[in-house]
Amino acid sequence: MHAKFSPEELAFQEDVRRFMRENFTPELAARIHHPDTFRDASIEWQKLLDDKGWAANGWPVEHGGCAWSATQKYIYTTELAAAGAPDVVPMGIKMVAPVLYSYGSEEQKQRFLPPTKSSDIWWCQGYSEPGAGSDLAALQTRALRDGDDYIIDGTKIWTTYAQYADWIFCLVRTDNTGKPQQGISFLLIDMKTPGITVSPIISVDDEHHLNEVNFENVRVPVANRIGEENEGWTYAKALLTYERTALSGVAYCKRILTNIRKLASTAGLSGVRLIDDSDFRARLADIEMEVMALEYLELRVLSDIDSGGAPGMESSLLKLKGTELQQAVQTLQWDVAAGFGGVLPEVDDELWESDGNRARREYMFGRACTIFGGSNEVQRNIIAKFALGL
Amino acid sequence: MDFSLTEEQVMLKDSVAKFLADNYAAEQREAVLKQEAGFSAKHWASFSELGWLTIPFSEDVGGFGGNVADVSAVMEEFGKVLVVEPYWSSIVLAGQLIARCTNEALKSSAMPQLISGEAQYSFAWLEAQSCFSLSYVGATATKQGDSYCLNGQKNLVLNANANYFLIAARSSGDVASESGISLFVVDANNPALKKESVRLIDGQLACNIEFSDLLINQDDMLTAEGEAYPLIAEVVDEALVALCAEAVGAMTYLYKATAEYANTRKQFGVAIGSFQALQHRMVDMFMATEQCKSLLVRAQCAILDGSVDRAQDVAVLKAMVGKYGRKVAEEAVQIHGGMGVTNEMPIGHYLKRLMMIDMYFGGSDIHRRRFSDMRYL
Repeated sequence: MHAKFSPEELAFQEDVRRFMRENFTPELAARIHHPDTFRDASIEWQKLLDDKGWAANGWPVEHGGCAWSATQKYIYTTELAAAGAPDVVPMGIKMVAPVLYSYGSEEQKQRFLPPTKSSDIWWCQGYSEPGAGSDLAALQTRALRDGDDYIIDGTKIWTTYAQYADWIFCLVRTDNTGKPQQGISFLLIDMKTPGITVSPIISVDDEHHLNEVNFENVRVPVANRIGEENEGWTYAKALLTYERTALSGVAYCKRILTNIRKLASTAGLSGVRLIDDSDFRARLADIEMEVMALEYLELRVLSDIDSGGAPGMESSLLKLKGTELQQAVQTLQWDVAAGFGGVLPEVDDELWESDGNRARREYMFGRACTIFGGSNEVQRNIIAKFALGL
Repeated sequence: MDFSLTEEQVMLKDSVAKFLADNYAAEQREAVLKQEAGFSAKHWASFSELGWLTIPFSEDVGGFGGNVADVSAVMEEFGKVLVVEPYWSSIVLAGQLIARCTNEALKSSAMPQLISGEAQYSFAWLEAQSCFSLSYVGATATKQGDSYCLNGQKNLVLNANANYFLIAARSSGDVASESGISLFVVDANNPALKKESVRLIDGQLACNIEFSDLLINQDDMLTAEGEAYPLIAEVVDEALVALCAEAVGAMTYLYKATAEYANTRKQFGVAIGSFQALQHRMVDMFMATEQCKSLLVRAQCAILDGSVDRAQDVAVLKAMVGKYGRKVAEEAVQIHGGMGVTNEMPIGHYLKRLMMIDMYFGGSDIHRRRFSDMRYL
């Protein structure tokens, strides 16, 4: 029982720190944070990570992964967040790739994995529909077989960054006869195919991340189906597990808490330091203590995966607690900003985005995190079933 | 980084679990609690035979050479069935104060008896005015030749039947100062010591003691005069981790027993475990237990690694275990319905124990404040 890093791990930590210092520059950070330059700057950043061999670190080694230990993953995630650098946009490298290398044909792997790794394909995820949110298996987007093609008709919604995407991975209905979970297939669709329309949805943070994607007589080669027809639910479930493991956000919480501590230690508009207020201290401590626990919960899960376990119900646990804490941190950040008249002042952190709107935007966007990736109520259902046998 | 138990720890945990499965059913425990001492001398002898009393101590004092992880492995099993024998107070807490003290002569005379289980010790530190501050010591120790004259009182000393008390008394400094505190081994039958037994809500027998002009030889002092505080702080931190391991064991029992009950208890023609409102509450019980278990791992690592954050990590563990231990037990009572409020069901006994664990060495709020004061400067 110990939490120390070995000399090799310390050297790795130094390597990650050096890489972040040299490559994640304030100039690049500013472009990633600006909506007009977000897409190109994100790709630029991910290509830098890929050149270093780290972009697809979680993949199997034969496809360009790193075979990192739990400790290395922890070090990498922590240093990334400490530098204020974003992780890769997850839809390609973290979400569709595991399905591709687990269930895709050789040809599909060769065609899609290398450009996904190098960020030459920007992916978006076509799961939710207007009538299928938490009840994902109720999805109705229809794929009718026509020779070597499927003809797709239907609507996907809440599609993050569809406006930037080259490809979309979709769950579509290929059979209506059995249980809802049966008859679903997993398709890869080129966003340039005729019949696809992307319409923006502006979220409560006043930004454009989300979209509705309409399919009208969209012709997709059967060769773009992953695995067997009607077996897509099985593949998608595996993918959701990976998605949720990535959602704990401990490193994100720690970084914001660090800056909240700094801000609270300077005098606000009323001339007093928040950190001296006993109510504020108690509230901050409550959140920090939970984050300290979640950090080790995540490490315990990672260690289990290291010793051969697969992420299952634990990923729901991390998603559930992690997103609750992200919201708690974002609410606290907003309340600290309120002490400065609603606008966060600069802190001594050149990579900290101090455009004054940060607290508002993160709080607003953060409302989504307990909804996406399977709402927290659905996560509680999953845990009740698989951990408690209810 | 490695959080796995060693092969030895797994074997130890299994053997503890096996003994308890044979000897610690709810009725058996209740019968033990009704005995005057509040625990079973027979069980205590078994603990000794099984070698459990040697676990925390280094080999040079006759111990097994275990560490906080070994002790926690045992305590977690104890928590699952609510063991009432004074293992924590006599072995983990008082035992370590002696085993790590600087008075070598005292150590070599006391340790064999302590490790064999023949003599039980208890740490007497809490005072009426101390608000659970470890350094608040109003009891006085005045030097008189080769002896010290002790005056003062101590509250809620665990194990009223202990053979010896380790009494914290002050020979110099302000009443809350960390310097000036000494620790004395005092025979429980010393005529200058008055003892009043009190039954705690979890059934244990504790006592309040008063001592006036109690003369104690300087050879019975654990450290150099006035220098006991660092020893106390170090041992208490480690002992609190072990205590929290017991709490995690109790919480684990509670969420499992509650889910099992919900799956069998029928109302409205169905098992109540099929109701989402109850399922989600039970998930929160499970989540709270996992969070506490994670902090337990964190604090163990901090101690074993000699981390500079060790005191913070222990304070956070104690604060969260105090808060969530009670919460999980309260939820368990609620979901057990009417049966949950009966003494017949074990559930309520776990609530009582977790309330006591929260109270020992200060409740959740006190440890949150300790953490805040260390972290927010």
